[in-house]
Amino acid sequence: MKFKLENTGENLDGEIVKSTGNNEFVLKIQGKERDLKIVTMTHDKVEFMLDSVYHITKYLENSTNRITLVVDGVKLTFNKRPEMDKIVYKNSGADSASDSQINLKSQIPGRVVSINVTAGDNVKKGDVVCVLESMKMQISIKSHKDGIVKSIKMKQGSSVAKNDVLAEIE
Amino acid sequence: MHSEKIKNFLHKRRQAEQSGGEERIQGQHEKGKLTARERIDLLLDEGSFTEIDAMTTHHYYEFDMQNKKFFGDGVVTGYGTIHGKQVFLFAYDFTVLGGTLSEMGAKKITKIMDHAVKVGCPVIGIIDSGGARIQEGILSLDGFASIFYHNQLASGVVPQITISVGPSAGGAVYSPAMTDFVIMADKISTMFVTGPEVVKTVLGEEVSFDELGGAMSHGRNSGVAHFVGKNEYHCMDIVKTLLSYIPQNSTEEAPIVETGDDPNRLDTNLINIIPENPLQPYDMKEIISSIVDNHVFFEIHELFAPNVVVGFARLHGKTVGIVANQPMVLAGALDIDSSNKASRFIRFCDCYGIPIITLVDTPGYMPGTQQEHAGIIRHGSKLLYAYCEATVPKITLIIGKAYGGAYIAMSSKNLGTDVNYAWPTAQIAVLGSEAAVRIMNRKELDSAKDPAALKKQLVDNFTEKFANPYVAASYGTIDSVIDPAETRPALIRALDALANKRERRVPRKHGNINL
Amino acid sequence: MIKKILISNRGEIAIRVIKTCNALGIKSVAVYSDEDVNSKHVKMASEAYHIGPASPAQSYLNMEKIVETAISSGADAIHPGYGFLSENADFADLCEKKNLNFIGPSGKSMRLCGDKMECKDAMIKAKVPTVPGSPGIVEEVEKALNIAHDIGYPVLLKSVFGGGGRGIRLVHNEKELREAFEIASGESKAAFGKSALFVEKFLPKIRHIELQLARDKHGNAVHIFERECSIQRRHQKLIEMSPSPVVDQKTRDQIGELAVNAAIAVDYLNAGTAEFLRLDDGTFYFIEINARLQVEHPVTELVSGLDLVKLQIDIANGHEIPFKQKDLKVNGCSIECRINAEDTFLDFAPSTGKIWDVDIPSGPGVRVDTYLYPGCTVSPYYDSLMGKLITWGQNFEEARQRMTLALSDFYIEGVETAIPLYRTILNSKEFINGDLSTDFLDRFKILDRLQSDLKNEASQKSEPALAATLIHSEFLKNKIKPRKEHNIRWKTQVDRH
Repeated sequence: MKFKLENTGENLDGEIVKSTGNNEFVLKIQGKERDLKIVTMTHDKVEFMLDSVYHITKYLENSTNRITLVVDGVKLTFNKRPEMDKIVYKNSGADSASDSQINLKSQIPGRVVSINVTAGDNVKKGDVVCVLESMKMQISIKSHKDGIVKSIKMKQGSSVAKNDVLAEIE
Repeated sequence: MHSEKIKNFLHKRRQAEQSGGEERIQGQHEKGKLTARERIDLLLDEGSFTEIDAMTTHHYYEFDMQNKKFFGDGVVTGYGTIHGKQVFLFAYDFTVLGGTLSEMGAKKITKIMDHAVKVGCPVIGIIDSGGARIQEGILSLDGFASIFYHNQLASGVVPQITISVGPSAGGAVYSPAMTDFVIMADKISTMFVTGPEVVKTVLGEEVSFDELGGAMSHGRNSGVAHFVGKNEYHCMDIVKTLLSYIPQNSTEEAPIVETGDDPNRLDTNLINIIPENPLQPYDMKEIISSIVDNHVFFEIHELFAPNVVVGFARLHGKTVGIVANQPMVLAGALDIDSSNKASRFIRFCDCYGIPIITLVDTPGYMPGTQQEHAGIIRHGSKLLYAYCEATVPKITLIIGKAYGGAYIAMSSKNLGTDVNYAWPTAQIAVLGSEAAVRIMNRKELDSAKDPAALKKQLVDNFTEKFANPYVAASYGTIDSVIDPAETRPALIRALDALANKRERRVPRKHGNINL
Repeated sequence: MIKKILISNRGEIAIRVIKTCNALGIKSVAVYSDEDVNSKHVKMASEAYHIGPASPAQSYLNMEKIVETAISSGADAIHPGYGFLSENADFADLCEKKNLNFIGPSGKSMRLCGDKMECKDAMIKAKVPTVPGSPGIVEEVEKALNIAHDIGYPVLLKSVFGGGGRGIRLVHNEKELREAFEIASGESKAAFGKSALFVEKFLPKIRHIELQLARDKHGNAVHIFERECSIQRRHQKLIEMSPSPVVDQKTRDQIGELAVNAAIAVDYLNAGTAEFLRLDDGTFYFIEINARLQVEHPVTELVSGLDLVKLQIDIANGHEIPFKQKDLKVNGCSIECRINAEDTFLDFAPSTGKIWDVDIPSGPGVRVDTYLYPGCTVSPYYDSLMGKLITWGQNFEEARQRMTLALSDFYIEGVETAIPLYRTILNSKEFINGDLSTDFLDRFKILDRLQSDLKNEASQKSEPALAATLIHSEFLKNKIKPRKEHNIRWKTQVDRH
C-alpha cells in the first residue's frame, strides 16, 4: 500500500505480509521484510518492537485517508490514499485539515474579548476578525482569506475551544 | 493439470474485477467519483473484502442487451469487516450500464441482505445509480420492490446504513429512506423522486440537481440525510464512527470502548452555562459536551430541525442516545420536524437496546397556522408514542423550562421513564408564569388599579410557587433534584443501575403509531 | 525572625519558595483558586487555603483576601513570587499596614520602579544612561504616530505598566502602530487596570543584559553578576544564561557599579534586577528595574552557589547581606530554557489542556523547576510558563551540551512546547559562537531551520511510524470490544419481548 508522509512529502510503501499470531507480525516496508511484536496495547498507546528496537506510539487522529500519530515523541501524519486525493477532492474542497474554505476556525482556546467585524463586511486576508484572550495574552485572529463575512458564530465574552468555528467568510 | 480451465477462470476473474472497463473507470474518476470497488476498499478493513456473485450477468435480450453483458451487472456485493466487525454490503457500480438496477442486480442485493439477517450483521448500501434499467422494464421495478421488502424484513433486526455517493432517482430513493441512517456526500449525491427535467416540463419550475435533491438540501430541508459528508473519505469516516456506537444486531449490546474518562468527574462550571435570565438562550451542546466521555458527541441530523439535538455519545464507555432541546434555536420549542427527528432516533435506540438520555429545556410547542395545518398534532404524537414504546433504560434530566405538553413529551415520568432528574434551575409548570397569570388572574388584572404592579406580584408568586422542580419532586415525578456539577456521575450511576432492565408488553402484531 | 511565609502565587515559583522554606525550617502557606485545587504547590505546602474562583482578579490578585488569609493562618511574612502582586505597590503597602513582612522592596520604591517614565528620570539624575524615546506617556494614537515619525521606524510601543515583556509591540509603519496601539491598550487595561503607553526607538541587534541586585536594610548593596537574556520572542525571554559571552570581568565591574547605583537611586530593598540593553558597539542603556525575584534567577544561583530565596528571607529578617561584593566570583556557566505551553508554529499561541504524561530530565548539572506532574492541567487562566530547565557546566560548551541532551529527555504530552525550537537554537552555530541578540530568531530565520530539523526528525521516524500505521487496525480491534462473544445470542435467541 502506498503512503505519503505529509511532514516531508516522502512516499513510502508498506503492507502486512502475515500475522504469525501472539501479536507478532511480518511487515514489508520499502521492500524490506521487518518483524514486529506488539508489547503492550492500552486504550491510547501501543508499545512495540520493530526488529528489536523499541518504539512507543500514540494515535492522535485517524480517518479513512489520513492518520496522525506520535512515535517516540515525534508527531507524524500519513496520507493513506495519496492516489485517490485528486479524484475525491474534485467536487469538494480539500480535507478536514484545511476545510476552512468558509469556516474561520480558532486555533487556540480562549475568551472572546472583541469582535471586530459584522456580517456583510468585506475583509481581506490578514484583517483582524476578533481578539481572543488566553493565558493573559491577547491574540488577534485574522481572516484566512479575502471575502465577505457571512455570519459571526461567536459571542463577545464567551469562551471558544480550539477548532471552534468563529465566523463564516465567503 | 486442467491448465486451460484455470487460465480461463483467471481471465474471467480479471474481467469481473474490471467492472465496466478501463474507459468507464476513467470517466467515473473524471467526474470526481470513485468506483464501487475503490469505495469498498476505503470502507472495509484492509484485505477483508470477499465478493460474491461477481460473475452474475443479466439474461435479457430485448433492445440489443445481449451485446451489453457485463460481469456483476452493475452491483458489487459481498462482505468484510470494519474495525474487525463483520458487515455485509452492496455497492452500485456506475461504470456498468450507469449502475442501473436490473432483475439480477436486485437478486444480488436481496441475497446479501438475507445473509446479513441470517447471521445478524449490519447491511451497508453504497448508492451511485442511474435508477431503474429502462430496458428491463417491469423486471427492474419488481427488483426495487423486492429490495424494499427486504429492507422491511431487516428493519429493527440488523442496522441498515446507506451511503449515497452519486445519483439516485425515482423509486430507487425509497430503499435508502427505509434504512436506519443515510449519509450523503456533498456535491456528489442527489436523491429525488422526480428529476429537474420532469419538474420543468410539468411545473415549469427551473431548479438544479443539487438544489432539488442534493446532500445539503436533504440534510437541511427534508431530513432525508442524517449526515452530510464533505467528500467520500468523510462519508466513510462517518459510517465507521457510527458503527462503533451500535451493536451488530438487535440481540447484542453496543460495544464498550475504554475512553479513560473518569466516571466521577465533576464539572462545577456546568451551572454557569445557563444564563441568569431565562429568556436568554444558550447552547445545549456545551452541556452535552461536558457530561459525555471525552467531550465527544456524535451528532445525527445536525442540520435538520436544529431546535432538537440527537446523537450518540458514551458514558463510562457505554453508548447512549441523547435527545435534547436546543434553546439556541426557536427557543427550544418543539415542532413538526423536531418531533419527527427525535421520534425516529428514539425508535432506533429502542430497536438496538441503546439507553436514551433526554435533556429538557423547552417552552412548549411552536404555535401558528403553519404548524397546525401541517399536522403538529399528528407529528407531535409520534414523540409521545416513541417514548412510551421504548423499553430501553430511559433517563430524563430537566435543565430549564419544561412547560405543558412539551414537558410531557420530553420523556416525562409517566411516559414510562425510569429515572427523572432535575437541576435547581428547572421550571416545571403547565405554563410560563406570565402566561399562567394572564389566564388565571384575568379578572383581577382587568379591575386592578395598578395592573402592572399586581401582575408582577402575581407572576413572582407563581414563579416562586411553581416554576421550580420541588413541586414535582414532592410528588415523586422528579426522582431527584441534583447538583449540576454532579450530572455526569449521576447519569452514569443511574445507567449502571438500569443495565439489566427488562420490560414486557402485552403481545400484539404491532402498535399503530400515528404516521 | 520569620517563622511562616504565605506565598501569594502559584505554579513553579510557589514550589520554589516552598523548597527554601523547607530548607530553613520555615512553615509555608499556599493559596489556591478553584482551578488550582490539584496543583503541586498546594500539596507541598505546610498549609493551603482556598482563596477564590479561577479568574486571577478574584483569587491571586485579590489583595484583601490574601492578607486576610495570611493573618488567619498566622503567617508573619508574604512572598509574592513574580507576576501577580509582586510589583503591586498598594499590596506592599497593605502588607506593611497589617504588620506582614513583605519579602521585597517597599511600596514606595516599587511605585518608582513601576512607573517607567519616573524611573527613567531617577536614572538620568543618577547618571545611569537610558534609551532615547518619548518624553512621557502617550495617550492618543495620533501623538504616538508623531513621535514615531520623528524618531523614525521601527519603534517599540510599550506599556508604562508592563513587565515581563508584556505590553511591548514592535511596529514598522503607521498601520501597524495604529493596530498595535489599540491592542496594547486593551492588554494593558486587562492586566493592570490602566493603559498608558510610550514610544521608544527600536534598536536592532541589541543584547538584553541584566544584573541581579540585592540590597539590605542597612544600605549594603551588591550585584550578583549579569544574565544575558537576548533570545526572546515577542519581547519575552525564552533562553537566559550567566555569564554573558560578551561581558568580561572589567565590564562586569563597570555595569555592576551602574546597577548598584540605580538600586540606591530608587532606595531599593531586597532582591531585584536592573535591565540593560547593550548595543553592538558595547554601549549599555538602562531599561528598567524589576522589583521582584525573576523567573531566570536559577542561572544566577548556579553560577554563584547562592540560594536567592534564602537571601531574600535573610534581608527581610533585617540581617546584613552575608557577603561582600569582592567575595563573589562567577563559577562556570549556566543556561536556562523556559518551558512554555505555547505552539511555536502558531506564532506561539497558548496551548492548554491536560498533561497526560511528563518525563523530567536529570543528571549532572541538570535542574528542573516545574509544577508539572502526570495528570495535571495547564490552565488558560494563567500564564504559559510550565517550568524551567536549567543546566550548569564548567564552561559554556558543557552547559550547552548538557542542555541539548536534557531537552531531548524532556517529554511533555498534552500541550505544545518550544522544546524542539530550543534544540534547534542550542545547536546553531550562531548560538555556539555567542552571536546573540534580541532579534536572534528573525535574524537567523530560526523558525525555518526548525521546520527543516523537524522534517529530518520525521524522516528518521518514518519507518517505525509506518509500521505503527499498519498495525493500527489491530489497535482499534482491541479498543472497540464487543460486549459478548459475537453473535452467540443471535444464534440461540428466543423472542426478546
